[in-house]
Amino acid sequence: MKIAKIWNKLAKPKNIPRLFAAILACVLIIGFVIPTALDGDQLYPRPEPQSQMDAGLSIAPYDRGGEILKEPGTTIAEYPENSKYIGWINSYMSPIADTARSISPYFGTTIYSSPGGLIDEILYYTRGFDTILESSILMMAFIIASWLMLNFTMDRRNEKETIQNDVKRAIKSSDRIANEVEESNRKARAKQRKRES
Amino acid sequence: MSLTSIGGDLLGTIPLGDIVLYLNPLHLFLFVTIIIFTILIAISRTETQVEAMFGSLEENKVSVGMKEFKHRRFLAIICGLATAGAMITGDLFNFTLFMALIGIVNIGIVSAVKQIDVLDSAYQYGLIAMMCGLPLFGGAAIILASTGTLSLFTLAAAPTVAPMTIFGALMMLVGIAGESGIAPFFATKAEMFRTPGSPFILIIHLSSLFIIVRSVEILLIIIHVI
Repeated sequence: MKIAKIWNKLAKPKNIPRLFAAILACVLIIGFVIPTALDGDQLYPRPEPQSQMDAGLSIAPYDRGGEILKEPGTTIAEYPENSKYIGWINSYMSPIADTARSISPYFGTTIYSSPGGLIDEILYYTRGFDTILESSILMMAFIIASWLMLNFTMDRRNEKETIQNDVKRAIKSSDRIANEVEESNRKARAKQRKRES
Repeated sequence: MSLTSIGGDLLGTIPLGDIVLYLNPLHLFLFVTIIIFTILIAISRTETQVEAMFGSLEENKVSVGMKEFKHRRFLAIICGLATAGAMITGDLFNFTLFMALIGIVNIGIVSAVKQIDVLDSAYQYGLIAMMCGLPLFGGAAIILASTGTLSLFTLAAAPTVAPMTIFGALMMLVGIAGESGIAPFFATKAEMFRTPGSPFILIIHLSSLFIIVRSVEILLIIIHVI
């Protein structure tokens, strides 16, 4: 294919996501042949799957050690000098969560997900800035969606002129597409005729 | 292999727990420039495009309404701040999060436009930005798995580079290329600008330029080229 044609194809926004997806797929396929070299000294370690369940801990699989307000839990930080109270947040539980833990061994997951239960130290202390950013990404998405909702979807019924223009434009573009289809049909027929003759 | 070989001497750090922002002359320059541009954008008004009409002496003015103006200005400021944050961050995952924020805000800036072509290409860019989540965060996760850290200081001081780390960096490169719309993915972003409201549209372009400069530095630090 001529390079000029490739440039022309790249200039159409419609083709770009497909191209990107294809390139991404190629890169991901390379990932299958790369040897996995995991570092043993992880910053954010997790216990072995099922090990806490087998040990019979009441807040398995989220037990990070420590005792409430007496002994810090285990958290590893990249820069411990920046996090003075490391471990204390992990070992803390609210009185309600603590009661739930003491009466039954089956509420581990619910305690974790409830606010004021177990607080994830990595999420809210050592890497708290990331959490702020994550929620601000979500907030921006909601701001954009709600602005569009308020200003376009609802007001649109009253904007007769815009609707008229849009209808006109839609008719025009459908005309254009019909013309294009007709044109390509004509070309295809001409090609076939040439081939037959 | 030191951080100072690209950006110059370390001027200082801003510790936020495990996420340590750091400043060197290159970062400081990029940071100050983008902040100045953001301030200029925050105090400026939008342009009005004047189109000459065929066959008459009249002219057609394409301007931006007050509501749309405010919406765009807000998102443009957020975009500028996110870019400024990405310039000085010293943490890989933090950087990818700033990039994701820039991506969604870029779509937001043009979302209020009433031109169908622009919205179409913004939609296509949105598809790419959505796909970019995988290589960006996946790449950062692979680098974390293979080196055990996300901090650029520790990554720069690592003695060797595993093939898996390089693969992680390659994945991040794909993500950055898609999100910032460099060749060959330029068409969607280039079509997005074709609308009135110049200063706010410009921040889309500016943010991807700055991100490219910073990401080149970060990727070079990870794979220990210099």
